[in-house]
Amino acid sequence: MSLSTPLLKVENVTRHFGGLEALGEVTLSVNEGEVRGIIGPNGAGKTTLFNVITGELPVTSGAVYLRGQKITGLSPDKICQMGMGRTFQMTLIFPELTVFDSIWVGVNARSPTPWHPFKLVDAMKDESDRVRELAAMVGLEGKLHERAVNLSYGDQKVLEIAMALSTRPVLLLLDEPTQGVSPQEAEMILTLIKRLSEKITIVLIEHSIEFVVRLCGNLTVLNRGRVLAEGTPEEISRDTEVRRVYLGGDVWNF
Amino acid sequence: MVVRQNRKKTRTFLLFAVLGILLILGGILPRGAQSLVIQMMVFSIFAMGYDISLGYTNQCSLGHSVFFGVGAYGVVLSMTLLKMGILSSLGMAVLAGIVASFLTGLVSVRLSEAYFVIVTALFSAIFHLLALDMSWLTGGDDGLTVSLPKISLGPLHISLYNPYVNYFFVLFFLVLSYLILRRVVYAPLGKVFVAIRENEKRARFLGYNIFAYKLSAFVISAVFTALSGGLYALALRYATTDFFSLYWSIIPIVWCLVGGLGSLMGPCIGVLLLSLFQYYVSAWWTHYLILFGVLILIILRISKKGLVGYLEKFVGRQS
Repeated sequence: MSLSTPLLKVENVTRHFGGLEALGEVTLSVNEGEVRGIIGPNGAGKTTLFNVITGELPVTSGAVYLRGQKITGLSPDKICQMGMGRTFQMTLIFPELTVFDSIWVGVNARSPTPWHPFKLVDAMKDESDRVRELAAMVGLEGKLHERAVNLSYGDQKVLEIAMALSTRPVLLLLDEPTQGVSPQEAEMILTLIKRLSEKITIVLIEHSIEFVVRLCGNLTVLNRGRVLAEGTPEEISRDTEVRRVYLGGDVWNF
Repeated sequence: MVVRQNRKKTRTFLLFAVLGILLILGGILPRGAQSLVIQMMVFSIFAMGYDISLGYTNQCSLGHSVFFGVGAYGVVLSMTLLKMGILSSLGMAVLAGIVASFLTGLVSVRLSEAYFVIVTALFSAIFHLLALDMSWLTGGDDGLTVSLPKISLGPLHISLYNPYVNYFFVLFFLVLSYLILRRVVYAPLGKVFVAIRENEKRARFLGYNIFAYKLSAFVISAVFTALSGGLYALALRYATTDFFSLYWSIIPIVWCLVGGLGSLMGPCIGVLLLSLFQYYVSAWWTHYLILFGVLILIILRISKKGLVGYLEKFVGRQS
């Protein structure tokens, strides 16, 4: 793998749902260390793009590469094992598990024998330490023994990020990490993502333009399943096409 | 943490209490009650095994009668046709259970919930019909009887015809099954099972091959079902094609629901209740199952996690 190989490369990916073209020849590449924002109006195909990248949906045509390796056609668990972590727009958690156990499940996935039938979980010190470390990193260390379902929605979002991190990904995909949470919690999540971005490459979908601009070095604008524009936030804000899509473009005057 | 440790202590104490009671009962029970307790212990192995499928991975199988029947016939046929000893025939029963569950699991485990239930029910029906049809092997409706050879443990020769020996023989397997399953549910494998039950999609996106884990839960569950079937055939000295009937797929669901899903003790309590009910209430009222149905509804109305769930909640409130 040469240095110039992008961490994630999406090449001419098209995805049809029956007659509807959800993604049309989308091409983008994300370099290591980048924080890339994917924006676009509702129905632009942002989540579909994530689903295609993570293997949840097969592509109609095109290919996706992670660190130069083709991952199209692989199952989500394989792709995760290759180093991709993901959160979902509607949080996906283990409702009845505690925060500790939820993160533990992800940490265990990276242990040499995640299926061990006789080892005692309580005796696995390395894994427990790693769970505590991750919980502390996202600020959930005080709630380790609370059940996930009892957490606030913001904490659930944070827990999901911790779970995605627990599998030691090289690339983290965040699908609207601040959607539906209170402004204070959103600010907290933003700080968290900012801190994470120093260590890990992140691609995120976000509706709040303000957050996107504060977080991302580069933006990709999707509209009707196609890449409309790509560049730094400043470049994007000057793009007339993008302004037109965003109906007058008030969103850019902040 | 303190609560957790206290609960652990209580549970350990309860387990030893139950074991003590079972040991004492083995010595003092009259014949009839003794065979009832033997039956309960055999069914408890079945129930715990079944809960690995239903309670731990949320796979509501209606195909476990296949493994129960295969286990029973595994023992009887190994002894009559292959002239094997008791312990090796039980081994054959377990092996047959593994093969049957692996093959049926390959087809059914991939399916989503409702289809899984239907397809496993179909397996149950197919095996029942096959067993009836192959009466040259299975003895059809009449079944097969078997005479038990002695078990040789070094210089010691024991005979299961002695009811006391039979009792402690079954108790040994109950304890063994419990210890193995307990180890499994406290190991990474068991935790992953629970994670899959809680949210399959999330588990997949953490890198787990859901199919492989669900299939292994299905097979583990079948191992203990087959063992139970084998022990039941030994206790009755008899196997019949009726063991393949859908009844033996539905009754474990009832045990687990009444006692409590997702625990090992729960299903055993379910067995205890239903067995006592069948034994005593059926004596004075033939339509006792109606009453039992109402009882199930009441228990599930009070606590969705069965009796154990209710007790845990109750204990939790006290402490």
